[in-house]
Amino acid sequence: MEKIDVLKKVNAVFIDVLDNEDIVLTYETTADDVEDWDSLNHIQLVVAIEKLFKTRFTSQEIQSWKNVGEMLDCIISKGV
Amino acid sequence: MFAVGDSYKKEFCVSEAVYKGFINIFNDNNPLHTNDEFALSHGFKGKVMHGNILNGFLSYFIGEYLSTKDVIIHKQDIQFKNPVYLNDTVFFEANVSEVYTSVNAVEFKFQFKSKDLLVLAKGKIQIGILS
Repeated sequence: MEKIDVLKKVNAVFIDVLDNEDIVLTYETTADDVEDWDSLNHIQLVVAIEKLFKTRFTSQEIQSWKNVGEMLDCIISKGV
Repeated sequence: MFAVGDSYKKEFCVSEAVYKGFINIFNDNNPLHTNDEFALSHGFKGKVMHGNILNGFLSYFIGEYLSTKDVIIHKQDIQFKNPVYLNDTVFFEANVSEVYTSVNAVEFKFQFKSKDLLVLAKGKIQIGILS
């Protein structure tokens, strides 16, 4: 799957989990840029993304992400 | 600590004490829950116990019955399928359906059944394991 396609799917997850239709993620987006992307919602986002892509991350992987682009790279590395 | 497929069972009784305690605390005196005639007129066998009493049992399951106290409920979803009546015993079953080690979260699918194996309520609950 192309990175831009993964971004679209992840964007939809963010809209659903954070209940905010206005969210538009870019590769450079960080938690500071998205209202309500706090530690508790981060758990729900990761769970929803793992479910959607039928994959699992490690805690080390999650902690290494500096922005959405790195999250997408990690998802793609799982072979989705 | 938790693995997909782990299974738990527990019986609970919607006793007079539970029922009255719920009403005393939350003040939901809707006649469906307090008036047998009203409930009968709507096709029930008697006053229907508050569905959220089952959520109280679910809270006990997570907070007290699991093997660790290091837990917090993240979210839960419950569908009420059939009525529960005063002094009914309900049979609770939960199975670990997902484990998310990346974020220390565990999802359970659960059911409450009657002694006749009728599904009274079912749902999912996600908990976090506190570090």
